[in-house]
Amino acid sequence: MTIAPADRAAWYPAAPSSAVTEGHATPTVLLGEGVALFRTDGVAAATGADRRALAVTERYDHVWVCPGTPDRALFAIPEAAMPGRRAVPCGSIHVRCSPLRAVENFLDIAHFPFIHTGILGEEPHTEVNRYDVRIDDDLDEVWARNITFHQPQASVSAEGALDVRYEYRVPAPTTAILYKTCPARPAEWDVIAIFVQPVSEETCIAHPWMTMFDDATPHADMVAFQQTIFLQDRSILENQIPARLPLDPGMEVPTQADLTSIAYRRWLKRRGHAHGAQLVAA
Amino acid sequence: MRWTAVMLAADLPPGAAAGTTVDGTDLAVWRSASGAVHAWTDRCPHRGMRLSHGFVRGETLACIYHGWRYGTDGACRHIPAHPSLTPPKTIAATDHACREAGGLIWVGGTGEPPVIEHPHPVRSLEVAAPPEAVARAFGAAEGVRVLDLDGRAATLALQPVASAATRIHALCARPDDRLALSRALDARRARAEGDAA
Ligand code: FES
Ligand SMILES: [Fe+2]
Repeated sequence: MTIAPADRAAWYPAAPSSAVTEGHATPTVLLGEGVALFRTDGVAAATGADRRALAVTERYDHVWVCPGTPDRALFAIPEAAMPGRRAVPCGSIHVRCSPLRAVENFLDIAHFPFIHTGILGEEPHTEVNRYDVRIDDDLDEVWARNITFHQPQASVSAEGALDVRYEYRVPAPTTAILYKTCPARPAEWDVIAIFVQPVSEETCIAHPWMTMFDDATPHADMVAFQQTIFLQDRSILENQIPARLPLDPGMEVPTQADLTSIAYRRWLKRRGHAHGAQLVAA
Repeated sequence: MRWTAVMLAADLPPGAAAGTTVDGTDLAVWRSASGAVHAWTDRCPHRGMRLSHGFVRGETLACIYHGWRYGTDGACRHIPAHPSLTPPKTIAATDHACREAGGLIWVGGTGEPPVIEHPHPVRSLEVAAPPEAVARAFGAAEGVRVLDLDGRAATLALQPVASAATRIHALCARPDDRLALSRALDARRARAEGDAA
């Protein structure tokens, strides 16, 4: 299989940091190609199928690999360095779907009342108000802002239903970050990201990761909450047709609630990202 | 166009939706609260979710992903994210001909579905073999065939699923024959799958 140049130049999560240990290789797959991950004197490294050394960076509790020559540094999540925050890697979930479908689902709020019933949404509170979306040309990122939604149980620590504010950011083709009202500190955001590892065009591993102000909730409870949400999403993601994300309009019918998804598809197309995408209308 | 039996009518109660496949085409088959049956292409026009995973509300089928509701003609009636919007007529699930007759649900034909003489449903079973191999092992023809299985009268309707998968829907003349017929079907399934292997 040939991989488009733009796909090779991007950064992808290849494993949680905790899975890459001294003294032995951790095998994994990226864009259909075998990759071996190592750790020597604390520093992570990777080789491709032909034993060629690959560009590696380790951040946000994950090892990131670029299969070609990186055309930029790994995106920054400035909140990660903020004192008082707690970083929470939430495990890895294998999903038989396009990595792009997994990201798009993460950007979608209209499904909350139906898929995350009683947690992130609930009928009759199904309306999605108008919000702002743009492709930021300087950053080369997709941003959605001014989203509000009624949530029965917005997080483990939320007490009762809340009107929650959201912002979304797509800084790399298979990464999306959600900024969400922080119940403990109204001036700050909870940051929840999904780092999607593209295994093949129709399989991926989702590595959810968060950074939030919450010293009280046990780590296991936070992971359990995110796992519940992602397993609910998996039942959708493995049953969408076609499996690959259609980038050209015509095959699917978006509405105003889907503006983030429209921008995400347009941005992927503009970048020349092809892995996991369906480029010809079927 | 010939009708293909896709399930026993008794296996689809009011309010149920189920997925099936005919010659590689995935279909969502559902029964509304009033009892009418419908077969649609198994794909929601919004974001491609399988409609067979959806839920029935009255005379509509709702997609599980974002709750878009489709009326019995396939047209989208309601988009929960925009409750005050009247969906444009162009948003519609793809409707296929569907009938209930003789204890079976039929899709894709014209005119009347075949007459079924045996009133008692036995079961449906999937065989991992092409329709020709199944027809050989069961002594049945493509489509519908009345036959004698170990001395018991049965009707078998064959559903071509994919190149190496066939579903059989069986009915019988006497309710007391159901258990014995079910065993006879299992034995022949093993033979058909052995032949195909
Ligand atoms: S995919 Fe069916 S309602 Fe969105
Ligand atoms: Fe979700």
